[in-house]
Amino acid sequence: MLSASFAILFYAATAILVVGVAMKVVRYARVPAPLKIPTTPAPVTRAGVILRMFREVVFFESLYRSNKWIWLFGWTFHMGLWLVLIRHIRYFTYDVWWWVALAQPWGTYAGFAMLAGLLGLWARRFLVERIRYISNPSDHLMLALLVAIAGSGLMMRFVARPDIMSVKAFMLGLLRFRIEDLPAQPILLVHLGLVAVLMIVFPISKLLHAPGVFFSPSRNQIDNPRERRHLAPWAARLEG
Amino acid sequence: MADGDDLPRMDFPLDIPCLKAGAMEGLHPFLAAPEHQAKLGFPGELLPDWKERALEKMAELAERNRAFQVYLDACVKCGACTDKCHYFLGTGDPKNMPVARQDLLRSVYRRYFTFAGKYFPKLVGARDLTEDVLHEWYSYYHQCSECRRCSVFCPYGIDTAEITMAAREIMDSVGMGQKYSNEIIGKVKDIGNNLGLNPKALRATLEDLEEDLEDETGISVRLPLDEKGADIMLITPSADFFAEPHIDGLLGYAKVFHEAGVSWTLSSYASEAANFGLFIGSYENMREIALRIRKAAQDLGVKRIVFGECGHAWRVAYSFLNTLAGPFDFLDQKYPIPQHILEFTWGEIQKGTLRFDKSKNDHIRLTFHDSCNVARASRMGDEPGGQFEIPRNVIRAVCNNYFDMDRDTTHESTLCCGGGGGLLTDDLMELRKKGASPRMAALQQVSEDHGVTHMAAICAICKTQFSKVMPAFGYEMDSVLSVHQLVSSAIVLTGQETGDDEEGADPRGETA
Amino acid sequence: MSYQVNGHTVEHDEEGYITNLADWNKELALEIARTENIEMDDERWEVVNFLRDYYEEYQIAPAVRVLIKAIKKSMGPEKGNNKYMYELFPYGPAKQACKIAGLPKPTGCV
Repeated sequence: MLSASFAILFYAATAILVVGVAMKVVRYARVPAPLKIPTTPAPVTRAGVILRMFREVVFFESLYRSNKWIWLFGWTFHMGLWLVLIRHIRYFTYDVWWWVALAQPWGTYAGFAMLAGLLGLWARRFLVERIRYISNPSDHLMLALLVAIAGSGLMMRFVARPDIMSVKAFMLGLLRFRIEDLPAQPILLVHLGLVAVLMIVFPISKLLHAPGVFFSPSRNQIDNPRERRHLAPWAARLEG
Repeated sequence: MADGDDLPRMDFPLDIPCLKAGAMEGLHPFLAAPEHQAKLGFPGELLPDWKERALEKMAELAERNRAFQVYLDACVKCGACTDKCHYFLGTGDPKNMPVARQDLLRSVYRRYFTFAGKYFPKLVGARDLTEDVLHEWYSYYHQCSECRRCSVFCPYGIDTAEITMAAREIMDSVGMGQKYSNEIIGKVKDIGNNLGLNPKALRATLEDLEEDLEDETGISVRLPLDEKGADIMLITPSADFFAEPHIDGLLGYAKVFHEAGVSWTLSSYASEAANFGLFIGSYENMREIALRIRKAAQDLGVKRIVFGECGHAWRVAYSFLNTLAGPFDFLDQKYPIPQHILEFTWGEIQKGTLRFDKSKNDHIRLTFHDSCNVARASRMGDEPGGQFEIPRNVIRAVCNNYFDMDRDTTHESTLCCGGGGGLLTDDLMELRKKGASPRMAALQQVSEDHGVTHMAAICAICKTQFSKVMPAFGYEMDSVLSVHQLVSSAIVLTGQETGDDEEGADPRGETA
Repeated sequence: MSYQVNGHTVEHDEEGYITNLADWNKELALEIARTENIEMDDERWEVVNFLRDYYEEYQIAPAVRVLIKAIKKSMGPEKGNNKYMYELFPYGPAKQACKIAGLPKPTGCV
């Protein structure tokens, strides 16, 4: 019963995440940018734009220039998150890939880094007057959700370790449309449940910043308007 | 009306104020009259079904403009932008923080167009579109100069200017336009420029200025108008025909063209570089104005188009002209289309065709204000960042005492003058002064450190704004200069008697 | 929004510029000047009259430089300069003097 519920939850969450984000991405891709609006100075070649975007999503370049504290907490959280995600791939592949194994020893530190980053960001929502002003309840809830996910994850590492091989069996089963037994360990269930919630809210929340950044015209356009004429389809129709 | 008596005294230009909620609430620039609105194709006054129309327009914009769609979704409220707006720094009003300004519209978008906002409005800060909200929009979307400083610092490049433009377009579409911008756009459509300067008056002004030039230099330097077959058509803000120090810039362009030996002309049909269609976010109006330039270029049979000193005009010219009014296959493809006057002048300086007596500017200790639209929405030259280097190169070629302001307030981080984006109107004077205070604080710093006396600019709005607000900060109104005014002062025309050249130095030795 | 002069009502816009230019007369100019806290003297009348003559010819106010040149000719170099114009009309010769002269406000980036 429990296993079946979680299986359904994960199938549903995955479907919502994939379909929801895909719909948004399709929309972002389909809606034209009628004008050239890169924030200049901007790269004048496609390769340059790829490099700019790389620096933006890997190093958070603009954020670094903007505010060192937000950068420190935000970057720590995101990079920790990546390592933790990589570390979790082992639960979905029968043989652990070498580069996943490589991340294994760092995963734990990454978990703490993630948590520290989140708590730093959350603290700013209370302590910095300007950020307090712009925070909505959902901003706090999102942080609470992520903190709970990271916290429950770390607890399973240090406090109450579940039968990890059964968890892996359950996940591998899901990938093969078989429902294996999921250990009924409370912290594990909380952890998995919250992850499913995160997946479900992803396409209807500010988490859309993740695909959104790649579609931001101020960052992804090439600075070449004099050389190449840029024209949106609806604008071309004005020319009649 | 408060006249900015409570100007913040900033020790450092980027001092972050404490939040003063409601400090600028209710600021409401004059509404466009029905006759202004009609010329732009907008309803004359607020429609009875404005709410439905506004939401329809919002949906349409989300379909038409990727930036609008992505920027409304992507913000995570990280707060990186909160201390980046000069109007926030100058007023402390939290709704002038870029994210908060966006949220005025985002909250409504969420309410009507997103799942979370439809079913959990309180949770995500979504709210109904009411008349109060509409008036709040009108107030705070006219406290944004669309300068894009926030977009530099946003990790997703969210550009509040795009949201402001969309909001103004929505308001225009329901009959709530701003008088200043919309009246002016109407004048461009009727007469060809923002001022309403008709061809006869323009010709008289130019002839008058030609006289002045001859009196000053002893040389006949022309300001040609509507001369068919000229190589270059100069498109310059009409303020260059009217205001100080703009006119001195115009004289500078004329001298440079004269010395470069090119044939050029102004157009009475397209006697305006400015394109306020940008400010109100109206692609159609912006296009209509831009097409005047295309038509003028074709009618006059010119080979090249050069733009004078005007910030947002250069954005529209550099970034949009090809889109709005291209392709310009009938122009000479050897030259950039369009070209900035500073690109032209710098090119001539590099070729060595211009001679300068830099000592003519020795009474000035100068700094340079990067205009927002030039800095963050355009380029000059072939390399990214040319929009910073080329003006400075030209300045250094004509002026001995040059000092940059704090790096956090120049280049792509430049602070808006406080009057851009359709806010250069007397009914927003308090906002303009407060918005200028961060820039003024940066200027005061270089005045203290390096004895800077003057600031040069390459934007008609910046020049007018500074000449109006600088007296409130202890500077003379003529402390702001056109870059080509400095060129004009230093240039030595071929055959020109340099009467007061006491040391008899060869001016050629002064060229950079 | 209107001025009251000799029992007549003259409409003006939000900023005090009269809406019908034909309504202008000297009494109205004095009334507008009064609301602007400006005492009309010979110099100021000279400026106002020049603006009106120029407008008559060109349907627009002159550039500040053109105005100053004209004043220099009639009143001499110590008065034909920008600073003096601002002494006469603290809110700017173009805008404030135009208002008193019953001309439309110059618009644009000026």
